[in-house]
Amino acid sequence: MVTAVEPTAGQVVGRRWRSARGIVLVLLCLVVIGVVVAALKPSRKPDDLDPGSPKPGGTRALAEILKSRGVGFDVARNASDATSRAGAGTITVVARPERLTRSDLDRLRGTAGDLLLVEPGREVLSSLAPGVEQDGPTFVLQAHPQCGLQGATLAGTVAFGESETYVAPSGATACYPESGKPRLVQYQVSGRAVTVLGAARPLTNGHLTDEGNAALAMNLVGARPQVIWLIPDVRHASSGERAGDRTLTDLLPPGVKLFFLGLVVAVIPIALWRGRRLGPVVAEVLPVVVRSSETVTGRSRLYRAHRARGRAAEALRAGARDRIVPLLGLPRTVAQILPTQDPGAAREVVMAVAARTDHDERTVATALYGLDLGQVTQSWPTGQSDPGGAEPVDDAGLLALADLLDDLERQVRQS
Amino acid sequence: MALTGRLGLLALVAAFVPLLVPSGAVLLGLWGLLLLGVVIDLCLAGNVRALRFHREGDTRVRLGEKANAGLIVENTGKRRVKAVLRDVWPPSAGVSPRTAKINVPAGERRRIDQTFTPTRRGDREAVTVVVRSVGPLGLAARQLSRSAPRTLRVLPAFPSRRHLPSRLARLRELTGLHSTMIRGQGTEFDSLREYVVGDDVRSIDWRATARRNDVVVRTWRPERDRRLYLVLDTGRTSAGRVGDIPRLDCSMDAALLLAALASRAGDRVDLLAYDRTVRARCENASRTGLLSEMVEAMAPLEPALIESDAAGMVSAIMSRVRRRSLVVLLTELNPAAFEEGLLPLLPGLTARHLVMIAAVSDPMVDEMAVARGDLAAVYDASAAERARADRRRLTAELRSYGVEVVDAPPDRIAPALADAYLALKAAGRL
Repeated sequence: MVTAVEPTAGQVVGRRWRSARGIVLVLLCLVVIGVVVAALKPSRKPDDLDPGSPKPGGTRALAEILKSRGVGFDVARNASDATSRAGAGTITVVARPERLTRSDLDRLRGTAGDLLLVEPGREVLSSLAPGVEQDGPTFVLQAHPQCGLQGATLAGTVAFGESETYVAPSGATACYPESGKPRLVQYQVSGRAVTVLGAARPLTNGHLTDEGNAALAMNLVGARPQVIWLIPDVRHASSGERAGDRTLTDLLPPGVKLFFLGLVVAVIPIALWRGRRLGPVVAEVLPVVVRSSETVTGRSRLYRAHRARGRAAEALRAGARDRIVPLLGLPRTVAQILPTQDPGAAREVVMAVAARTDHDERTVATALYGLDLGQVTQSWPTGQSDPGGAEPVDDAGLLALADLLDDLERQVRQS
Repeated sequence: MALTGRLGLLALVAAFVPLLVPSGAVLLGLWGLLLLGVVIDLCLAGNVRALRFHREGDTRVRLGEKANAGLIVENTGKRRVKAVLRDVWPPSAGVSPRTAKINVPAGERRRIDQTFTPTRRGDREAVTVVVRSVGPLGLAARQLSRSAPRTLRVLPAFPSRRHLPSRLARLRELTGLHSTMIRGQGTEFDSLREYVVGDDVRSIDWRATARRNDVVVRTWRPERDRRLYLVLDTGRTSAGRVGDIPRLDCSMDAALLLAALASRAGDRVDLLAYDRTVRARCENASRTGLLSEMVEAMAPLEPALIESDAAGMVSAIMSRVRRRSLVVLLTELNPAAFEEGLLPLLPGLTARHLVMIAAVSDPMVDEMAVARGDLAAVYDASAAERARADRRRLTAELRSYGVEVVDAPPDRIAPALADAYLALKAAGRL
């Protein structure tokens, strides 16, 4: 048997690090990828501000409330649809204005009716709300109107959350300012009212009940008897425009496809190079490696499986007798004599062992022969069927017997 | 045929070309060039068939030692052969280097130095020699296996050699080379000599004293020219692993020590390995060549997974050994195998010969017998006690037949067997 040398703590750490570094590296990569994906993920979902959406980001609640109040509510999925319906007495709410193309913006500019722009970008502002300029993002939980706009003063405090601020042109009504830059701007452009709202949050299902959000939303959106909610569809918005119907492969430079083809083909000679072995694999004709003690182990498992405590106890007793008897100065053959064969010999052994140990005869007789004291001292039972004597009643008994036999042997050896 | 890494690398480089020159024709052209290179290489690569292989160096090595050998590659072809060569051996032959680069001009020969560090006893056969001959461009190679037969015989290690000097010293004491000859140290009549003070008076030969004027004593010496017949049982019981090696290897070690000792003591030693047939034999060896012949005979032996044929073994012994001998049977004390096989035949054998049985016991069983702690350990202990009791019973029964039994764990079996032999010799029982 080879005894293993205890490695030092440093070696253990080094070995653990070497075995774990692959896993650590993979985990690190996963974390980095996760962070990157989370950072690249758009903060807006496709169905945000959609009047059909019941999710926290949708605006179905607002639409339903307006409808129940008798306000006409139409949903337009593209700009041409919206412009055809727009007219005097309508208000066109441009949700997701970033989806509008340049031509959409031109079309919208020519329509009559009021406009409500929700979080418009620079391009949209210059086209539909000239004079208003984007300032920067802010965050506020409660904003006060601080203006004369009736819809805003009636609504009172509004929870904007993340919101854009704007620079309002002179003559415009500027509400909810943050250090002088308003979040809500309303003014007249070529005979119609254009409202720029710096946050989508007051309109959404999730935040409609916060502060005065609902009131502000209804006052702004429901200002005219007919609402046209323009939420441009990405597909429709881009159809026929410069992006076209071209797929990813059309957009790739021409050499890239050939490059990938080349890579695929290059794999073939590399695979053939690595796959060709230099000569055959030689199998070693091994000798038998079965342990010689396998039969003993098998017998032990059989004993255990069948709870053969009697047989196990008798084997232990026979082994102990075999070692103890020569120590007592008796012939070795006495060890194999069972009480049923010669009670006198067995009694002699028990007496001698009891004299040399601190155990009494009863204990020694039970341990070595599995018999009671009465049977030892008076008369040995004859014709007993089980030569092994008493069987331990449970596993603890067997363990105790093994320990007792060890103790007897040790004491006899030392006496 | 085999491709090289260079071809793969070039194909990879070619894949990047379309990024600069986006043209399918250029890519196809590059592939065509590579294919042409492969064809040229295959045509111009050195001819592997024209290679001749010769081997030289050690054919025998003791287990645990190194053998040096050489593989000579002769190029009888017309072109230079630049190649990677692998001499294929079983893993336990421990050949090094595994692969070698060769560059043999036409008509010349080159030698590859090899060392073998075998890890197992027995015969190791060279499987084949694989040559991968690379073409001039290094893009493709011709690969072929050629046979170059060779057998490396790995001899038993004989680790119990270290016990030999002490046993030889004991033997010299017996033969009287060290101490004075006194009666009781030998049993064979040697010579008569004059009595000197200090001699045992019991050894005075009165008859001879009466013929001469001086008191004459007999001197004795241990018997010489006795015969030992060692029988190795190579059946299934010899296959079990004891410690880290098969029981058969332990038995061989013990047999070698006994043979070395007995041959120095002037006895004749023969060896027979038997399971159902004769596996190996070493008979009538000269005194000096005995050990090497025995080692040679033992080297290729492997345990056979069959029940030994005791009747066949006994009849083989009886037919081979006419004179009274010490028959040493190296086997395992397996009660089941013994009771059915050898035990009924023993009286016939002991009537003609002195029989000694040497068995390797398993130290694992002794470890299990003292195991305590939990239930499994105690059941293990009881099973081990049972196994030991069976063994003791069998030993007692064998002794009742007049058989000498040596039962020892693997690290002590060889000296124990040697001691038993010396005891027999001292007692004059051979």
